Amino acid sequence: MTQYIIRRLMWVVLVLLMITLIAYVIFFVMPPVDPARAFAGKRPTPELIETLRHQFGLDQPFYVQYGRFVQRLFLGDEYGWPGFGFSYATRSPVREELFQRAVITIQLGAGAAVVWLLVGIPIGIVSGIKRGTLVDRAAMGFALFGVSAPVFWLGLMFLFIFWQKLGIAAGTGYVALSENPVEWFGHMIMPWIVLALLFAAFYARMVRGSLIETMGQDYIRTARAKGLSERRVVVKHGLRASLTPIVTLFGIDFGTLLGGAIITETVFNMPGLGTYVVQSVFRGDLPATMGVVVLGALAVTVMSLVVDIVYAYLDPRVRYT
Amino acid sequence: MRLRRSRGILAVAAAVALLAAACGGEEQPRQEGQDGDLSGGALRIQMESFVFECNFDPTCEFVSYALMMQTNSFLRPLMNYRHVADDPGLEILPDLAADMPEISEDGLTYTFTLKDGVMFGPPVNREITSQDVAYAFQRMASQQQGNPYTYYYEGVVEGFELQKSPAEDIEISGIETPDDKTISITLANAVPDILFRLAMPATAPIPQEVASCFPQSGEYGRFVISSGAYMFEGSEDLDISSCESMEPIAGYEPDRTLNLVRNPNYDPATDNPEMRSNNPDRFELSVNTNVDDIFNKIVAGEADSSPDDPPAKFLRQFADDRERLPINPVDVLWYIGMNLTQAPFDDIHVRKAVNLAIDKDGLLRAAGGSLVGGVATHILPPTMGGPEAEDYDPYATSGFAGDADLAKEEMAQSAYDTDGDGICDAPECSGILHISRNEAPWTEFNPIIEDNLEAIGIELETREIEGGVAYELVSTTSENVPIASHAGWGKDWPDASTFFEALFTSGAIQAGAGVNNNVGLVGITSEINEERELGIEGNLGDIPSVDVHIEECIAMELGQARIDCFNEVDRTLMEEVVPYVPYRWDLESHLISENIAKWEFDQNAGEMSFAHIAVAS
Repeated sequence: MTQYIIRRLMWVVLVLLMITLIAYVIFFVMPPVDPARAFAGKRPTPELIETLRHQFGLDQPFYVQYGRFVQRLFLGDEYGWPGFGFSYATRSPVREELFQRAVITIQLGAGAAVVWLLVGIPIGIVSGIKRGTLVDRAAMGFALFGVSAPVFWLGLMFLFIFWQKLGIAAGTGYVALSENPVEWFGHMIMPWIVLALLFAAFYARMVRGSLIETMGQDYIRTARAKGLSERRVVVKHGLRASLTPIVTLFGIDFGTLLGGAIITETVFNMPGLGTYVVQSVFRGDLPATMGVVVLGALAVTVMSLVVDIVYAYLDPRVRYT
Repeated sequence: MRLRRSRGILAVAAAVALLAAACGGEEQPRQEGQDGDLSGGALRIQMESFVFECNFDPTCEFVSYALMMQTNSFLRPLMNYRHVADDPGLEILPDLAADMPEISEDGLTYTFTLKDGVMFGPPVNREITSQDVAYAFQRMASQQQGNPYTYYYEGVVEGFELQKSPAEDIEISGIETPDDKTISITLANAVPDILFRLAMPATAPIPQEVASCFPQSGEYGRFVISSGAYMFEGSEDLDISSCESMEPIAGYEPDRTLNLVRNPNYDPATDNPEMRSNNPDRFELSVNTNVDDIFNKIVAGEADSSPDDPPAKFLRQFADDRERLPINPVDVLWYIGMNLTQAPFDDIHVRKAVNLAIDKDGLLRAAGGSLVGGVATHILPPTMGGPEAEDYDPYATSGFAGDADLAKEEMAQSAYDTDGDGICDAPECSGILHISRNEAPWTEFNPIIEDNLEAIGIELETREIEGGVAYELVSTTSENVPIASHAGWGKDWPDASTFFEALFTSGAIQAGAGVNNNVGLVGITSEINEERELGIEGNLGDIPSVDVHIEECIAMELGQARIDCFNEVDRTLMEEVVPYVPYRWDLESHLISENIAKWEFDQNAGEMSFAHIAVAS
């Protein structure tokens, strides 16, 4: 298993390099505007643009720039390890900003994940077991609504109803857990629910389908024939098999979220990676954009690895090869 | 024609009256009975992004909101403004200087005496000296500091040249500090608007013991030491014992929060109460990525104001409430630029016809109507051109709606109208590249502009692109863009030179990607094209120039004669050169909370006035 993990980690590094190379070409080689021009005022002189290009490292050939980027990433820079350089916009280390914002995005993603698992899986199970009943139809109605409702609309509606009209929610913004746990929870609960609704609905449909399929298998009939209680059949035999695809899905979804829940963060004004990347792209702050791309790619690849390991644990047919 | 003209004048008068009404409503003390004491409390500002372009570092920052904060509350340059609305807000006054400068007989040397008792804030805690002002100039002259407006001083202050050395190694022969309280600035030539240039925040004193640790552009932004009434919260915790020991001041987290608190070393006795009231105890600026939410919070009283434009629904909601939605003119012109070297705009009759054809009222309504601007009838905004220019409209049409018949009359005189029917019918009249932006309101403008010009035979091929890309493309001479509607221009200080010198002199035409602001290429010649390797391909014969006229105006002393001179340049440009279709002078609408006890607008900065605003404690 150790060999497997090491081999997969090497793949992670390779995938990261590929992604950073593609992203680097997109953002640094093919930018529609010269980033130095954007920071040079309304009457830029060629000298000023040249100075800024030099300070941003843009006066070097592409391969040198990329080489430095990779070097900083793996060996660190003057601001620490891993190195992400400095932001064109804030002239501050990207690393510091990335890590501070990643903490917020992780809180958002983790909380939402708990909500969607707690909501989506039970609904899927109940719906799968009570197939064709009113409960099933209601559950699938919820799922259809959750999948169809755009996150930005849901967010705005939640804000309108619970903050603006009813005044029972904390509104937008973020308060650090260490600063005030109650306010932290108050500010997180709506983003968690809004972000989770989409996933919960999707997971409910997935679990339902998977459970229905599993419950039709021969070994389930055998278990029933052995006289096991329906509860035991469902929980011990049905769920275990039907939830394994969910693990894969969860890993990828959670990894993707860690790269920044852009819409939810924007609507709820959460200073996470999602809002950071939006601001960075609009301002031509390429190092910051690249930083989020690297973190996002890392989150997805690492989560894929974790999923594969957990998958093999859950399903004995899968081996670490 | 006379009737149309009269209606035009009436409409202009109405617009001016609206402006005047708006201006009259900017100061609303709504807390009468509080013994006149408006001090205290926290002003809470939310904005979609800080949009600082150089991290709030005064040496290189140029975003107007940052300039307002710095000159109002944070820094004290030699000269400054009252930070109020209208003409009083455009008058230059001594700030760090004890009085107006002594000017030598030849008019070249300005000697300032610094006020006593003006201190740097914590942790520097010492009196400001003339060397601190000189150091600010040295930093500007250091190329690696990336100051975006060194051209205000190069060739103006004697010996001021951009150099690659660190600021500390730079000597500027025109700046002398004979003692701690005296600084003399010698000019290479007489520059009547020099005092405006000495009010820019980059000229405010900077303590070398801190700032020398930050040799690169923008690095000092999170460590700025206050010389004004407010400072970054937590400034006192900055350890300046060495460069290595300095950690960013906690009160400014880029892209998140910026908190200003009172500077304990600030002595109101050293200040002019007309310039600063310093009412709130705190200014709390924070980023809110949800613009709707910002204004919902302002309405709900959870935030007090925002520099962002209120969305249309809030403008509608408070359209008649000048207390909650004060409106001020901001001296910004929006225009359609025509390239004088590109067909068919190399014919003045075509350019005049375009001016007559454009439905400026339609463009204004598409932008948001009378709450966001007034119809521009010429180049200089009303507050800069003075009352003499207010009624000037060389292309008047009924209701500013454009007049296809008048435009056709003009077009009939053009070589591009081969049969004299008022329709541009030469091959050059079709497939003309028109650069615009891919966001509202430009996307709303484009059908109007296309339809208006189609009526006189000009068929545009509009390319809607991102704003930054549009600026870079159009401002690159070798791209030879014929017509563009993406751009606007605002003053740098209250003098028309900051419009005309940058936009219409041949000296402003420069090679390189995105560096040319004279998009009409007024004054271009074949020689200039070759010398500067501009890459212009087009008709370079007989392009009119206003260089001499502008230089004459720039050399004039400040005052009415200078304003008249620039108004004359405006008329020449509008009637004899015609590089623009001016279509809107901006108004700034601020939605404010009921918590604002006194509102004020800084006319020079074109932003709300931190210096005089007050909140209910």
